[in-house]
Amino acid sequence: MIFGSFLLDANESNAFVLGCEETREALLVDVGDADPRIEEFLEQHGLRLTTVFITHDHYDHTGGLDHVLREHDVEVLSGRGAAGGRNARRVRHGDEVRIGQLTGAVLATPGHTPDSVSLAFPGLVFTGDALFAGSVGGTTSSANARQEIEHIRKHIFALPDECEIHPGHGPASTVGVERQHNPFFV
Amino acid sequence: MGSTHYHAEQCSAAGCDKNALTGAARCWEHLDDHGAFVASLDPQRLAGAWLVGVDLSGADLKGANLAGARLSGATLVSAELVEADLRRAFLDGADLRGANLFGANLEFAVLGGTDVSEAIFRGADLRRANLVGARGHHADFSDTDLYYARPGNADFEGANFSGANIMRTIFRRANLKDAILTGTTGAANFENANLEGARR
Repeated sequence: MIFGSFLLDANESNAFVLGCEETREALLVDVGDADPRIEEFLEQHGLRLTTVFITHDHYDHTGGLDHVLREHDVEVLSGRGAAGGRNARRVRHGDEVRIGQLTGAVLATPGHTPDSVSLAFPGLVFTGDALFAGSVGGTTSSANARQEIEHIRKHIFALPDECEIHPGHGPASTVGVERQHNPFFV
Repeated sequence: MGSTHYHAEQCSAAGCDKNALTGAARCWEHLDDHGAFVASLDPQRLAGAWLVGVDLSGADLKGANLAGARLSGATLVSAELVEADLRRAFLDGADLRGANLFGANLEFAVLGGTDVSEAIFRGADLRRANLVGARGHHADFSDTDLYYARPGNADFEGANFSGANIMRTIFRRANLKDAILTGTTGAANFENANLEGARR
């Protein structure tokens, strides 16, 4: 597994590249900006971008999508079926995302937006703006906040404690750290 | 652990499903000679290394390149990590009591659930560091850069933050009893934090 993380200018969001060492196919998780470091990383590791996974349709996670679509022949996946004004293939909880020999599972984590999704691979999960280190995504109602907490408990905290969490903003964490110490859960 | 992006193979001990340490055939638990393994480590070649659970107490790791290394659950009591590169390293659950991290680079480092009591971070770069649930009684964070760091639910009783940049630092529900916050710069989030006896 090849892994790269990028702090972007767009609202200090994160973007991630996950590559299969065997087939050299690669996944991009969120793309808030057209950042040349992402292209450099792909080139440096001999990766071919095949898929873009959008955790939720906010500008700071989709702002670089037009650039990516111009430069690469990729399929865009999102929980909403659209991203950054473009069509995307809609993914739902339980769907598989295959990148070469890597297989990820889509996890429903609504609340920040109604169709926010996370994506879990063995050993790591991308949580977008649903779950951050020591925090959770902002919501517009108490019902949405409850929904977010419930889905994080049910789907993210069911992963092994050592599983890495890579959120849409700020530092990474682990399931164990967030389950035991995140002020929104304990 | 299965598939991972670290420089690690599976532990060769029968029935063990953990990753082997980088540069070894086994995990820390199944390693025959801990001392020889520690002595074999080249501090400049530890970026991205899998070092889960290792005991590096008192080790001299000044200026070490540990960027992106996985040190979860490691014991680093009184380790010398002055000016070490720990960017994006995972130190969750590690024991760093009394360690010296003067001037270290810990940007994006994961220190959630660690014990950093009486550790020295003076002048360290802790921008966007994860300190969720960390314990750091009387730790020295003076003159650090804690921009957008996440010490939610941390227990930093008596810790020294004098002169630190705490712009956007999220101290949500942290225990800052008797902490020293004099000379800090920037607006932090102290929602539900305990500031009893803190000096500001």
